[in-house]
Amino acid sequence: MVSDEILIDLQAKGLLSPEQTAVIGNYEHTRPFSLHYELRTVLYLGIVLLSGGLGVLLYQHLDDIGHSVIVAAISGLMAACFAYAVRHQSPFTWEQAPRAGVVPDYLLLLGCLLFLTLEGYLQAQYELFGTRYGLAVFIPAALFFWLAYRFDHRGVLSMAITALASWIGLSIAPLSAFTENNFFRSGLGGAAVLLGLALMGAGFVSEQRNLKRHFAFTYLSLGSNLALIATTAALLSSEPTLLGTIAAPLVLLLSGFLIWYARRTHSYLFLLMGAVYGYIAFTYLFFKLFDSSSELLTLYFPFTTFVIILLFVKAKEIVGKP
Amino acid sequence: MILKAYNPAWARAKATREAAARWQKQGLLSPAQLDSIYATHPLDYYRPHIFLRIALFIFTCLGSGAASGFFSLFGLSNYFLVVCVLSALGCLVVLEISIKSSRLYHAGPDNALLYMTLGWLTALVFYSVSLAVPAAFRNSFSPGNPFLPLALIPVLGLLVAAVVRYADRLVSAFAFMIYILLIFNILSHSTIGRLLLPFALMLASAAAYYAVWKVMQHVDRFYYQACFTVLKALSLSVFYLSGNYLVVREGNALLNDMPASTQIPFAALFYFFTVSIPVAYVYVALRKHDRVWLLIGLLSAAFSCYTIRFYHSILPPEIAATIAGVVLIAFAIWALRYLHTPRHGLTSVAEGEEPLSFSLESLVVAQTAPSASQPEPASFQFGGGHSGGGGADSSY
Repeated sequence: MVSDEILIDLQAKGLLSPEQTAVIGNYEHTRPFSLHYELRTVLYLGIVLLSGGLGVLLYQHLDDIGHSVIVAAISGLMAACFAYAVRHQSPFTWEQAPRAGVVPDYLLLLGCLLFLTLEGYLQAQYELFGTRYGLAVFIPAALFFWLAYRFDHRGVLSMAITALASWIGLSIAPLSAFTENNFFRSGLGGAAVLLGLALMGAGFVSEQRNLKRHFAFTYLSLGSNLALIATTAALLSSEPTLLGTIAAPLVLLLSGFLIWYARRTHSYLFLLMGAVYGYIAFTYLFFKLFDSSSELLTLYFPFTTFVIILLFVKAKEIVGKP
Repeated sequence: MILKAYNPAWARAKATREAAARWQKQGLLSPAQLDSIYATHPLDYYRPHIFLRIALFIFTCLGSGAASGFFSLFGLSNYFLVVCVLSALGCLVVLEISIKSSRLYHAGPDNALLYMTLGWLTALVFYSVSLAVPAAFRNSFSPGNPFLPLALIPVLGLLVAAVVRYADRLVSAFAFMIYILLIFNILSHSTIGRLLLPFALMLASAAAYYAVWKVMQHVDRFYYQACFTVLKALSLSVFYLSGNYLVVREGNALLNDMPASTQIPFAALFYFFTVSIPVAYVYVALRKHDRVWLLIGLLSAAFSCYTIRFYHSILPPEIAATIAGVVLIAFAIWALRYLHTPRHGLTSVAEGEEPLSFSLESLVVAQTAPSASQPEPASFQFGGGHSGGGGADSSY
């Protein structure tokens, strides 16, 4: 075992007494093997499979099963999930609440997913919201925001944010923000930027005012990603739009904010995002303003990347001690 | 040792500090002892946070790629060989100098430069081989090309040398895959070879696992730890996949240019492998407390379920998903509670806090959870013009 080698080494250097070496060696050989993250993954996988399977099942058997039975079954399951979460909840605080445990956390998530299934079913079957589709999306967003704050749950918070985004017609999940949205054609760019900025503002305020400041990461990462993708898309788009004209300074401004924020909170993710988006906008502006001959192009990239790498190697000073 | 590009003391110091910090948290070391261990094992290398490493990696790739483009500007573009040699040499020199002067230790730029060097050298080897072989095989990179070993063997040697010197995980993974590809290529030319292919690949990966285990006893474990983990995981995966019924059956169809896969010889044996290997992996993992075996075991178990469903779908997918979901949730809740107090050498309590993964968890939920609740019935249509960018979330 690697730990034995370390122990022998430390004892040889006189940093550990022989008794201590024996105790630690014994601890290393007898300590239990933690299955924590594996079991959590299994639990989450089960939740995704169950809610997904139930959702499809409902739509396929709309006419075969009694509607009231379905509604009752899902409501019951949902209520059980929420009840379990409520039973294990800790009192509300604007600080970070102590974690209630893995099971209540994930059952709350399952409850929220079941709520979506149930609401979708009611809408499909009874047209609960008629043609007011906005309302159908807005209700889960409002509910999830409340639950996220009440139960101090970042997963539910991100579900609330995605629901809010889909109310406007955007997809905000980290990967589908790239693939699902078509900012070039849909004219959603402006809305995306505004929502992104609003989310960033919410994150910043929660950090500043100390209102659930650990939520700031979720708000800022989802919000800034959305705003920056939308502005960068507008920047590179050939169609002249209002957003396109202010896109370059906006990207630079947002990147600057992220780097400044990374400096304040010692967060490397935001430094990475700020640097990459900022570099794209800067490069675009550079070739827009100056002659884009190929000689300049081949010199530009080695030179600028070298400068950036030097900056990053000094990043410890930029970001500060983590 | 001259063989190693990085100072071997760095890897040892890192492992020692991590172990000591863990022991101190358990109350086995006094804070004063921890301080003296930290003082005698300084971390005097540069290895920033993961996100910073990603950024450094991207920018180094961009910069060195553009620099190679710069070479080719001076009329060198006609001489591909010259560009390859110059670029490889340039990357290698910068790599060595930056490790010496900036004390980089798998910090992003050194990874990028290493991959660039090896990439250019691989291109060089392939280009030279393609000039030497008959024209018919020149531009074919299919795994069955009989001249492929001519290029693969030097590349494999190159990668192994790079692993020995730089102990890079990705390079060791590539070396392993080329080793497997080589065996595949040699065997796929004859009928009997194709018949024995699954067994040969299982044997090859078992041999690789044994060789890795043997080598590990004799070399600097700290320096090569990450590479050994990667090689272990890959040989376990390839061992499982070469015995998997789906892989063997579909692979057999591909090799023999059949339009649809048909029943294969020894089908029962491969079904047996498909079912028993994951079980064996998980069992060994829980007995030996080995996380690599456990993760590969769980992944292969999932793939075995997929394999069996692929040919014998007993239940429609939505019912299967619902039942599987209930079973998994029930099992996970039971196991989390049952192992809350350690039993059988296992526990469900986390070993150490991982604040980063807690923050990132919400992004995983944002990515996966809403798509689970999006039903896509053929009969149900969107009412209005709201379908805009609704995408993968809760809009119906």
